[in-house]
Parts: sequence; structure tokens; C-alpha cells
Amino acid sequence: MKTETDCKILCAHVSKEFIQKSSQRVNVIDDISLDVKSNEFVVILGPGQSGKSTLLRIIAGLELPTSGRVAIDGREISGPGPDRGLVFQSYMLFPWKTVMGNVELGPKLRGVGKKERREIAQHYIDLVGLNGFEKHYPHQLSGGMKQRVGIARAYANNPTVMLLDEPFGQLDAQTRYFMEKETARIWETDKRTVLFVTNNIDEAIYLGDRIVTLKGKLPGRLHDVYDVKLPRPREHTDMKFLELRQQITDASELVL
Amino acid sequence: MNSIANEVQAQIKERSPLSIWRFLKNRWFLHAVSTIAFFIIWDYVAFNRFLGSALARPYEVLLQLANMMVNPIAGKDLIGHIWASTQRILTGFAIGAVLATPLGLFMALNRYVNAIVKPVFDLIKPMPPIAWISIAILWFGIGEPSKIFIIVVGTFVPCLLNAYNGVRLIEPQLYDVVRMLGGNRRDEILHVCFPAAFPAIFAGLQISLSCAWTCVLAAELVSARSGLGFIILLGMTQSKPALIVGGMVVIAMVAWLTTLLVTGLEKVLCPWKREIQTA
Repeated sequence: MKTETDCKILCAHVSKEFIQKSSQRVNVIDDISLDVKSNEFVVILGPGQSGKSTLLRIIAGLELPTSGRVAIDGREISGPGPDRGLVFQSYMLFPWKTVMGNVELGPKLRGVGKKERREIAQHYIDLVGLNGFEKHYPHQLSGGMKQRVGIARAYANNPTVMLLDEPFGQLDAQTRYFMEKETARIWETDKRTVLFVTNNIDEAIYLGDRIVTLKGKLPGRLHDVYDVKLPRPREHTDMKFLELRQQITDASELVL
Repeated sequence: MNSIANEVQAQIKERSPLSIWRFLKNRWFLHAVSTIAFFIIWDYVAFNRFLGSALARPYEVLLQLANMMVNPIAGKDLIGHIWASTQRILTGFAIGAVLATPLGLFMALNRYVNAIVKPVFDLIKPMPPIAWISIAILWFGIGEPSKIFIIVVGTFVPCLLNAYNGVRLIEPQLYDVVRMLGGNRRDEILHVCFPAAFPAIFAGLQISLSCAWTCVLAAELVSARSGLGFIILLGMTQSKPALIVGGMVVIAMVAWLTTLLVTGLEKVLCPWKREIQTA
């Protein structure tokens, strides 16, 4: 029997209802329980409108669950905090800050001195491969580079949990594939507990230690859990990769 | 084969720097054409007196302006009158902007301030600032304060609206970023609200400035002993079309220069917008 402190993230019977303007209740998430081990890479896979982003926002603390609870390291969360880093689908960089300004914001808000936070930020800018772009503004960067800034910004605040909400959803197929490789490389260089939300089955298998699938329609319910036991770095054309892909496709209502 | 050859030839033709067609499509050439055409038509209309004697020819206007540089009207030369109007505008504009911009920000950031100020502001908002002239003269007399008051009223509304909307239209997820990184409400205001609202505030200042020119003209037309509005009014009472048109041309130029100044200031203060604008 596992105790609560064994797992890094614990979601117990989490449900979420939104009340719309017409006072209609929309059930977005229904009774999802999930636990994530320390330094584990868990992918939440589900089609659009399956409540996966809402689940991530609840774990981030930006939304409160209607019922159930979420705990990090055994402590129930009550709001957003720097122990979790969030990477957004639409990047959400500050257009008025340079790459350096964006990445160093976390340490700056925590009161880290200028010299030290510059060093931290520089380390993660280098890690995501943006060396030489420190003084660029976001509008001067391509989509893939913007998301690298987003990842570096989350990392620089030294969170123990990284939450990524369809981070490559706006990228073209080639850049996306490349960014997946980069994500695996960055994670293996600097391991954190990762919850990665996506609707892309290849991305899920390529990145995840474990894949959690959600049912296709609202309210979002847990469907299946797959352990991915493939060695890294993974190959999209590996037979075992394709078998698992087939298995997940057959079992889910994902339209691929 | 033939079609490919033709295509290549067409490309070479288009790239040729000596092509007349390319020259005719040049932006600066077209600017020059329209400007020269404007002056030719103006001179033609004025010379043939299609509008009676009420329109001065361009060279008469130039002559009049040159004359005003040397011979003062009502104790002031041309520069003196320009300065009289500009001074009123700058004073009124500064007071209006300093009052309205923070109030707009406060209204957007605090719903109680918004709930208190908004009904009164909505009542005053649609009133044309020029409608205040008569009451302003009754309150402050016909001197400088009444003119500055009109300008304050005229700049107040666009400044406040833009500061307010600048904060209101911020992408809410940007606040989430600050909160996720461990920031509090103060950090949200400092790192999101102010910088995000900056471009909108500057757009408000631009609108206010052109509004201020309208206001100062109206105020000077009603009662003044100096300023460009006074010059225009003088031209009308003395039946000197050159004076009227001259005043209008000078206003256009000075207003254009002040706008340029605000745009330049924005480029210095909002470096992240610099390349978007020039692109």
C-alpha cells in the first residue's frame, strides 16, 4: 500500500464543474484519480474537449476543483505557486521583456539578486539552445524558439514539477518533431516531474514514461494507462513504438 | 519549353532597374505626383476664382507667412502666435494626461473605483469638449485659464478611455504566468498591467493631442488676442484669405510635429514595439 508521500503529484477523485452564463452546469472533469512519481514523465493524452487542460490548470492551482483534492509532496495545494512551472500552448511570453527578461522573471519575483538570477537564467537559456538570443524580443523569434523561452522560463524558477499544456500545438510538424527531441534531451539533462498534456499520440509515446488517456467526450474521465518501456532516445519507426501506437489507437476513440 | 523561357524573360524584365513601369510604381514618385498635383489644382482653382476671392494662391500664402515673420500682428510675430497656441496645448494636455491616465488605470484595476467613477464619466464622455466653452468663460473669464480648461476636458476623455481599455484588454493568461512564478498582485500590476497598457496609453496621448488642437482652435476663435485661431479669425474679419489659409497650414505643420514627438517618445519608451512599427 502506497502512502501519499510516495508520489509527487496526487490527484484524488478530482471533479470540476463550470457554471456558464445561462446557469447551466458543465461537467468538465469527472472523478479523475492519478498519481505521479518523482521525476516521472507522464503524458495526458486526449482529444480536444476532453478536459485535459482543465486538469492541468487544477494541478497548477489556477482553477480549484469542485470536489476531490490535489496534493504535491503530500501537501494539498490551494493556489498557484513556484513549486510548479507551467508552459502554455500559446507561449504567453511578455512581449515587453527580452528573452533574458522573460527567463529571469521567476527568480526576480522571488527576490534573487541580479547577478545570481542572470546566471540562473543564462544556464537555462543555454540549456534550451537559445544562446545568443538573450537580448531579442519575443516577436523577433519563431514559434519553436518562443516555446524554448517558455520552457526556460519555467525551468529557471527551479520548480520540482513541470506542467506543459499542449506546448507544441501551434508549431508546424517538423518543428514539433524537433522540439519533442529537444524536450526529451532537456528533461534527461535536468530531470523534473513532468505532466505533459497533448492530443498527439506520437508525441505521447515519444516522450512519456507513462501515458494516461482520457475519454473522448466531456466530462473528462480516465480511460487507460500505458507504461512505455521503450529505451530512450526513442525512434518513431521502431516496431514496439508502432505496436504501442496501434494498441492505444484501437483502445481509444481518438481520431488520428 | 517556350512558356518557361517566357517566364524567365519576364522575370528578368521585372528586375531591370531601368524599367519605366518600375519607376512609375515607385512610392516616392507617386507621393511627389499627388503633392504637386494638389498644389497645381489649388493654384488653378484660386487663380480662376472658382470660389470667388475667398481662396488665396499658394505663393500668396507663403508671402503672407514670410511677412508675418517680420511684421508682428497684434504685438506678436508668427513664432509668437505659434508659441501662444502651443503653450496652451502643452499646459492643458499635460494637466489632462496627468489626471486622466492614472484614473483610467485605477478604474481598470479596482472595481470599486470603477463603480464610483464610471457613471459620472459615462455622462461626461459623449459631451463635445467645445460645448464647455461658454461655461468655461463664465467660470474662468476670457483669459488663459478658460482655454486651458477646454483643452483639459478635451484630452481627458481619450486619455482615460485608452488607459482603461489598455488594462482591460490584457490577455488574462499573462497574469497566470506571474502567479505561477510566485508573484503577487503587486507583481501582476508592475510586470503585466503597466507595460501591457503602455502602447494603448500612448495611442490615447496621440488622440488627445489632435483633440487638443481642435479645442485650442475653438477656444481661440471665441476669444483670444494671440494664437493661430486668432490669426484665422483675423483673416476672416479683415477679408484676408492668405491669412486664413496661412494659419491653417501652420497648424497642420505644428500639429504634425508634435505628433512626431509623441511617436518618437513611444519608440524610446516601448522598445519592444519598435520593429513592429517599422516593419
